[in-house]
Amino acid sequence: MTNTYYEFFCPVKVIAGKAALEHIPYELNSLSAKRPMIVTDKGVRAAGLLDPVIAACEESGLNIISIYDDVPPDSSTTVVRDIAAIYRKEKCDSIIAVGGGSAIDTGKAVNILVSEGGTDIAKYTGAGVIKHPLKPFFVIPTTAGTGSEVTSVAVITDEKKGVKLPFTSSFLLPNAAIIDPRMTLTLPPHITAATAMDAMTHAIESFTCMAKNPLSDAYATAAIKKVSNSLLQVMDNPKDTDARLELAQASTMAGIAFSNSMVGLVHSLGHATGAICHLPHGLCMSLYLPYALEFNLETIREPLGELLLHLEGPEVYAATPASRRAETSISALRNLRDALYRHCQLPRTLKETGKVTEAQLDLIAEMALDDGSIMFNPKEVSLQDARAVLQRAWA
Amino acid sequence: MLAKRIQPTASRARRLYVELMFQVMGRALQAVSEVDSEVQREARALPEGFLFEMMVMPAGPRLIVEHVGDGRFHYHGNSAPRPVDVSIQFKHLAHAFLVLSFQEKTSVAFANDRMLVDGDVSYAVRMTRVLNRLESFILPRIIARRAVKEYPANLHLPEKLVSAAKIYLKIATLFIQTARA
Repeated sequence: MTNTYYEFFCPVKVIAGKAALEHIPYELNSLSAKRPMIVTDKGVRAAGLLDPVIAACEESGLNIISIYDDVPPDSSTTVVRDIAAIYRKEKCDSIIAVGGGSAIDTGKAVNILVSEGGTDIAKYTGAGVIKHPLKPFFVIPTTAGTGSEVTSVAVITDEKKGVKLPFTSSFLLPNAAIIDPRMTLTLPPHITAATAMDAMTHAIESFTCMAKNPLSDAYATAAIKKVSNSLLQVMDNPKDTDARLELAQASTMAGIAFSNSMVGLVHSLGHATGAICHLPHGLCMSLYLPYALEFNLETIREPLGELLLHLEGPEVYAATPASRRAETSISALRNLRDALYRHCQLPRTLKETGKVTEAQLDLIAEMALDDGSIMFNPKEVSLQDARAVLQRAWA
Repeated sequence: MLAKRIQPTASRARRLYVELMFQVMGRALQAVSEVDSEVQREARALPEGFLFEMMVMPAGPRLIVEHVGDGRFHYHGNSAPRPVDVSIQFKHLAHAFLVLSFQEKTSVAFANDRMLVDGDVSYAVRMTRVLNRLESFILPRIIARRAVKEYPANLHLPEKLVSAAKIYLKIATLFIQTARA
């Protein structure tokens, strides 16, 4: 018997498909929640994405008690404290986070405060601090990429100390994730592309990094197939509801996969680049994905070769010699990035972003080495290795 | 009947082994920080007074080292002078035994959810690199390969032997000092 061991956990009810939003009143009612608060950002509200949510609730006689629509892109402890105060003042009993990663993380953090008490969210930072179930919490993602609707982590900036506070607990997981294609239908092309590549990276790293397991593998491969089949369809026809739903589901599935198997070097480099150069996370994932896979190639040849089936379909897989499948998988990802560049100029190199200087690469490499996800990269990464990958991604 | 008698003995032996390994590792961390410039470089990024703990949950064996400045560690035994900054916690004695008997790499133990990090993850990553470097020095190559994700390609036999001898000498000295105290 080998030492093989894994854990897998995802208790989130996924409510996905046509008219999914209309299930919210029933689901809230089944948790005895009658006074929901919406946490979102100005962009979501301006895009009119709250309208179908509110209409779906009001049609069933459920009033949204309060709407906080001022979540910033990098949410802070002050914002969390302010929202919690409104929640208490309005006597709300549940939270619906509508938006991308920031709104969802803010919703999770607010839920900690209103459930556990107090006004200082920093008190609950770290892993395993929260020991009790929290208030009913629903998530409606408006991007198809982060997978935050099925992860047990939230990151909030402490403005005073200038640090990012991580919160980790299975109690942060929402009771339900509502995946409705209406919520991503108006997403601009470059955000659609970057967030879909985020989902693709979650799935690929989940499948090739150290904590991969049979259950996360199943979610990862299904997510890769959906992104491969639907992303360019959506880029050609942004109003294709079915393809939008496929991407949204892929994002959730990739989220389930990576939250149970972790990620690797692409994320280490991406987190560092995001912190130093303020590039969007999804774009960073797209930038580094082929280069990090090339770096890991000899360690992940077998699983990466398997992914060709899900990236390119059975014909290409069958026609490619087993010894070349891993390289062909990387080529498929490069081709996808080229197609996205033609569609919406999604940068393929650091230089193409116009926001990174070559002088910053050393700092990015150093910061990436201290990122938690590097622990799960299948191959050891030295400072020289990280620099070499960055140099290849430069131009 | 026999199994019932053997099991507590095996469990005690495992606990003793883990306790002994923590004592060796704690002293070895102090020693390697006095010998190896690469470890010193890694440790300098830690705040002065930084306390690092490795322990078995819930209240099992533990080791505590402090970064006393200039890349040097000081081994505190199994009790910390104040709350620790970063703690790497094995969920069970059996998991600590798997890692410390080199049946499971540290990185694999993390991936297998055998261990938790309490505190700043970036410091935990750095300390894991230090532990890997230490293991590469003090263990024979064949065993070190079972302990670390990748044995350093640039660590050649003469450097390894000289460094390992210095580290073991310092560990022995520290054990003697503890015994005398």
